[in-house]
Amino acid sequence: MSVLAAPPRPRTWPRTVAVLVVLALITAATVTPAIGGIRIDLGTIARHWHFGWTKVQQMFDPDLSILPRTWKPLLETLEIAVVGAAASALLALPLSLWAARPTNPTWGRSAVRAVLNAVRAVPDLVYATVLVAMVGVGALPGVLTLVLFDLGVVVKLVSEAIDSADARYLEAGLAAGGTQAQANRMMAVPQTWPAYASQVLYSLELNVRISSVLGLVGAGGIGRLIDEVRGFYRYGALGVIIVEILVVVVLIEVASNVLRKRLR
Amino acid sequence: MSAVLAPARPRVAAPPRPRRLAVRTAQLVTGAVVLAALWHVHLDWTGLRELPGDVVHYLRLMFAHPDWSKLPYALQQTWVSVQMAWLGALLGVVVSTVLGIPAAQGVGPLWLRLPLRAVFAVIRAVPEVIIAIVILTVTGLTPFTGALALAIGGIGTHAKWTYETIEAVPGGTAEAVRAAGGTLLETARWGLWPEAAPELLSLALYRFELNVRTSAILGLIGVGGVGDLLTGYTQYRQWDAVGVLIVVVVVVTMAIDAVSGALRRRITKGARARVVDGTE
Repeated sequence: MSVLAAPPRPRTWPRTVAVLVVLALITAATVTPAIGGIRIDLGTIARHWHFGWTKVQQMFDPDLSILPRTWKPLLETLEIAVVGAAASALLALPLSLWAARPTNPTWGRSAVRAVLNAVRAVPDLVYATVLVAMVGVGALPGVLTLVLFDLGVVVKLVSEAIDSADARYLEAGLAAGGTQAQANRMMAVPQTWPAYASQVLYSLELNVRISSVLGLVGAGGIGRLIDEVRGFYRYGALGVIIVEILVVVVLIEVASNVLRKRLR
Repeated sequence: MSAVLAPARPRVAAPPRPRRLAVRTAQLVTGAVVLAALWHVHLDWTGLRELPGDVVHYLRLMFAHPDWSKLPYALQQTWVSVQMAWLGALLGVVVSTVLGIPAAQGVGPLWLRLPLRAVFAVIRAVPEVIIAIVILTVTGLTPFTGALALAIGGIGTHAKWTYETIEAVPGGTAEAVRAAGGTLLETARWGLWPEAAPELLSLALYRFELNVRTSAILGLIGVGGVGDLLTGYTQYRQWDAVGVLIVVVVVVTMAIDAVSGALRRRITKGARARVVDGTE
């Protein structure tokens, strides 16, 4: 006849209320124009929503005459993406080994990480804008932008993969008398290879998306055409270009997913 | 009489090297594609050769004598960008949650799941800048447009993460609640929500981090914020101001990432999780 008493409920509501109040305060601060917040103007949406709707409708009314002009920029977009991914892949492997503790127990680790954290904090199109002003219009600033962006992503993820990987092989290599460089080459690199290859493929996927808008600031590829048709209000043509990008992005994603599954 | 027999040296034959025809082919094809792209893309090689000198030159222009008088204005505009990011994340996460839950397998019916997922996929393919271009015809060149563009652009990925998170929730708890006689609502509240909530909240904060970066990009089309200033000063070659802006963007982004990252670790791993050896 034992009576099981339920354990007392933990008191979580004060914390929940506190979190909600903080969130509400931040939100209130961002939407109060009196203290520099954003003015939410639902009236304009009610009055002008049909302008946007017309644009969307025009996009769904494809203007196929643009099609022959899209092939070259589309190819250039893909080429920029591939070259950017390849160049960053070459640089990323040594940098990842340098930034991870097991493969580099001595010096410079946190410096590499700090620099790459800063590199990652700048958005891609900001790099592109500044680089176009530096080296001129064309594919080169696009490739450089992608290299910087990819390095940030790939080195971070791969060096973290090395950090959390099983260090036994590396230790065996060192115990057998290998130098750190030899052990890295024979043990760490083969062990990290699948993670590295998978991240490089992922960066290629991201590159295709990014390089399709890089042209908006003059860094080559189909973005330049997007900018042009937008300037002429050819929304039908814009719709066609978006569909093309969609197809290419999906194809690359599918291919890279298939390849990544085989890597495991 | 025992003749000493020389022991036969044990010979260990190395196992034959695996035939790696497929791997070699893949390597060759990859190499060929990269080389073809490199050859065809018409890189400006002289520009590349002069690049190191150029970079040093421009870095000196930007950071040797930054124009700190621009700092207050830069910070004010950065605050506008952060507001855009916050509001965009809030709206985007709410809409993505509402749309993403029915798109999860086991929640919504197939005729609802497929069109929802198709919509998410289409939104994912459209760059935020283009979404902003459409929205600015409605709400004009205001930060509100930026927030709306971030919200709508975010739905593509965030709704996908939402339904993937819900699908990944192990079914045991929900089954237990149902077996104890729980209704659909009670099952969702006590079986699904406690398991999915930390991940969903963490993703919502991550969406804010991503939006902080993207909001700087939206300045390109002039919706305000720090991106506007960056584009303007870069076009007018005011490098000393660009340097200040880049410093502000980097510092603010890294600070927000650090705070948000700590919160996310707290949400998903609990109060006792500690950072080990500086690895995130």
